Amino acid sequence: MTLASGAWPTFAADRPADDRPAAGGRQRGGSAVVWRAEMTKMAGQWRVRAAALACAVAPFAVLMAFNVQGATPSDTLFGQWIHTSGWAVPMVVLLWSGQWLLPALTAIVAGDIFSAEDHLGTWKTVLTRSRSRGQVFTGKLLAAASFAVVMVVIVGGASMLAGLAGGSRPLVGLTGQTVPAGHAAWLAALSWSTQLPPILAFTGLAVLLSVWTRNSVVGIGAPVLLGLVLQLVSMVDMPLALRHWLINTPFGAWIGLWTQPRFVGPVGQGAATSGLWLAVTVAAAWAVFRRRAIGAA
Amino acid sequence: MAARRPLAALAVAALAGLGATGCSSGGGITAAPIEASISHAFTNLYLLQQKDMGNPVPDPAGLHTRATCLKGTPADPQSGAGADWTCDVTFLVAGPATPVTAIYNLTVQTTGCYAADGDGPAPLNGSRTVTGPGYRQVHNPLWLIDGCFALR
Repeated sequence: MTLASGAWPTFAADRPADDRPAAGGRQRGGSAVVWRAEMTKMAGQWRVRAAALACAVAPFAVLMAFNVQGATPSDTLFGQWIHTSGWAVPMVVLLWSGQWLLPALTAIVAGDIFSAEDHLGTWKTVLTRSRSRGQVFTGKLLAAASFAVVMVVIVGGASMLAGLAGGSRPLVGLTGQTVPAGHAAWLAALSWSTQLPPILAFTGLAVLLSVWTRNSVVGIGAPVLLGLVLQLVSMVDMPLALRHWLINTPFGAWIGLWTQPRFVGPVGQGAATSGLWLAVTVAAAWAVFRRRAIGAA
Repeated sequence: MAARRPLAALAVAALAGLGATGCSSGGGITAAPIEASISHAFTNLYLLQQKDMGNPVPDPAGLHTRATCLKGTPADPQSGAGADWTCDVTFLVAGPATPVTAIYNLTVQTTGCYAADGDGPAPLNGSRTVTGPGYRQVHNPLWLIDGCFALR
């Protein structure tokens, strides 16, 4: 298997004639071209297809498993209500996936999108085209981020659909209050949307590792490992000033949406934390990528 | 449990060093927010239980639910996550002369979420199901209380 199955011709040859660069000039909108090329390559990769399919199917498999066995995952928040209200399903899936599955999903692409070019020895080809280094970087970064967002939408959307099966009944919230079905659906969707900032932060981290180490194993493996280790670290008491800034803390920011009175401070804090991680990792990745000598052995 | 893993232990040590400014490592978990959360949740779920059992639903304000929570023994530090929190939830179901106390064993996580396992009296919170109308077994909402509170 090759990590980037050869879709490069679309990058160079399938371009309309009027999009060809003037001699020596750099294209405007070059990042969009790189982004499109990366998305096309991505759609052809078996890893990406398998991940998307698994994300779409897994929530239904979870639901069916519990319905067939009659078991109740009562060690998870909302788990005891899984047979009562359908809207417990997206929340149980969120609780299981948030800490490790989402970092792993984004790392599949973001951890490989730069280092694949090292692996295949294609940087010279890519960077001698009409796209500037900044455009290549931006396009690849945006492609990785797009993949992360699409994956959250797929797995979140599928678990919401799975919840729709028993979705007419109210759910019990996190202060024992009865949440009417319609409001529960809205809160489940909001909770899933709070996963976007932290998954983008992990995307930034995976991109940095991919650029820096030039190694897809590190790019993909390290964020997954970090997600698991931080999940353990998070079980230990530590000052809040520290906990707030861990890269994985924002995955749990949604809990206050389900209490009475509601507390949404963690959502804002989580967005700030994720934004900081994203900014720092992307800036560092660009700093490394910009200075890299391509063509040196 | 985490400390047994060398990698996690290393990370914790590094983080502890970084966070040496603070020192109050309870992470915002103390008795007060737990008590506020569980008494609120208990009241809501008691009403739900009575409704599911087909009983008349009492006025929530009239229950005057109060909770007293303790981590380990009174001699232990009263802050932080752990599986050793216990709460006594007292409510007035038949007038001020006859308070009822429900006991819960809590596992409180560092996130500010807890699972409170009913530990008596048995007819109230001791079993997974209760008898509803027509002798039908229905889920007992007081058997296990899942709740969360804000860390401050």
